[in-house]
Amino acid sequence: MSHVNNNKLTKHFWFWPIAWYLFLGGLGGGTLTVAGIFDLAFRGGVELEGALTGPLPQLGSVFALAVLIAVAALGIGSFLLIFELGQPKVFLRVFLSRTAIIKYGACLLILAMGFGFVYFLFFLPPEWGLFYYSWIWLRDICCVCMMLFGLSVVVYTGVLLSSMKSKPFWNTPALPLLFTVSALSTATALMAVTAGLWPATSFNLAHGGALTAFIVENLHTIDTVLVISEVVVLGIYVLMMYGAGNVTARAVARKWLSGSFAGLFWFGMIFLGLLVPFGCYLAGGICAELVAPVFVLAAGLLLRFMIIYSDARRPIPGEERYWERIPKGNEKFLTAWKWD
Amino acid sequence: MTRYAMVIDQRRCIGCQSCTVACRTWNELPQDIIYNPVVSEGVQGVFPQVHVSYTPLLCMHCDNPPCTICCPCIASQQDEDGIVWVDETKCMGCKVCANSCPYGARDVNHKEGFVRKCTFCKDRVRKGDQPYCVATCHQKARIFGDLDDPASEVNQLINSLKTERLFPELNTDPHVFYISDLGGRK
Repeated sequence: MSHVNNNKLTKHFWFWPIAWYLFLGGLGGGTLTVAGIFDLAFRGGVELEGALTGPLPQLGSVFALAVLIAVAALGIGSFLLIFELGQPKVFLRVFLSRTAIIKYGACLLILAMGFGFVYFLFFLPPEWGLFYYSWIWLRDICCVCMMLFGLSVVVYTGVLLSSMKSKPFWNTPALPLLFTVSALSTATALMAVTAGLWPATSFNLAHGGALTAFIVENLHTIDTVLVISEVVVLGIYVLMMYGAGNVTARAVARKWLSGSFAGLFWFGMIFLGLLVPFGCYLAGGICAELVAPVFVLAAGLLLRFMIIYSDARRPIPGEERYWERIPKGNEKFLTAWKWD
Repeated sequence: MTRYAMVIDQRRCIGCQSCTVACRTWNELPQDIIYNPVVSEGVQGVFPQVHVSYTPLLCMHCDNPPCTICCPCIASQQDEDGIVWVDETKCMGCKVCANSCPYGARDVNHKEGFVRKCTFCKDRVRKGDQPYCVATCHQKARIFGDLDDPASEVNQLINSLKTERLFPELNTDPHVFYISDLGGRK
């Protein structure tokens, strides 16, 4: 007889694919949002070396690779969500309900992916002749839509978990806020690492190198602010649960602060994931260009894993005692009578 | 209109787990799924004033069930008589409902891939029988019936005795009522 987990209080329903899904959803949605904001904010021209550049209609090509990765991340995240289903073959049933948050999340994912992909197509090399590059109005519509739907995906990943009354550690409006800050931070890090790597030269983008440096510098500044914001929001979140949550939320917060998650939380999340990137951004150079973004991305993933495995349900009085005592199927007495 | 509910008289329950076994048998549950545990905090009080209280658990068949609202594929549904159940042919196994239930009434058998839960034995109830856990309880600690019928035993018990429900602050409006082992009188 095999060992099975009968304990309904320690049994998880969601595992690593959902943690990755939440991370990739946040990363993809956040990247589309930040890319859209940057395109709209700076396409009118920026000041480089003391002189205005003039309009930059192809500015988006600086972070086109990030947009492509974002679309891929949303696609992989959706695949993982389907992979996690008990009946993956009928995944299209996700769209049937009018009230399910997960249905709206699936719709938002598809819309963000679609608009992001069409936006990206405008930055394919023109000589390929694959697209109507003169349809700037379509690109602008896609830019605004991918920004809005991307942000909606980011918020949705937090709302999905925070809507569950049964999970005291998730059931707070602070969770969507934490996920949003973390997602925008990881998105900014991704954009900073990949800025200028797409072959923008195809478009004869003026000031190519200086412009990329300007964008990256802005991204580093924004991510520095986001990293500090995340430290604050995460600190408030865990301390709020520890001080003002119910017994279950407090037990989970204690697990984060001084229990089995303490190493991951203090060393992995706070030190390596947030304080080290903050220091790297301040130090500049290769630290800011490579080390900080990689650590920020890893911290975003770690946060989703820690949250997903903090799914404790409030026990009904006597329930803990019951589930601890229930046979698991590997008890010695079950096989002790056998001759061999 | 019929609205099914259950009253559990903890003054009568002796924690024999007959209902747990009956439920497993009737529903042919896999090894890792229990719809109907009977939990207890053990002996309470100081000798000689000690007592043991048992709390049989099951799906609360809430009037405002969080598990049906969050189901994207309409597999998790509530009938007009209040019975909350899962249509296994429609369930895609996203497990959102299992995560959203505050009472831990839902479970997933990973081999089958869909969510399972107590149905108040609706196959028996629709034929005029009692749920199997009620029919099996030799202490008559479980009473099942129509909450909207003034002549039903559940209606009379709820209106005449002090009853409690689990986690009322969550506004799920559960339809399983407990008569406390040390209470009962209004």
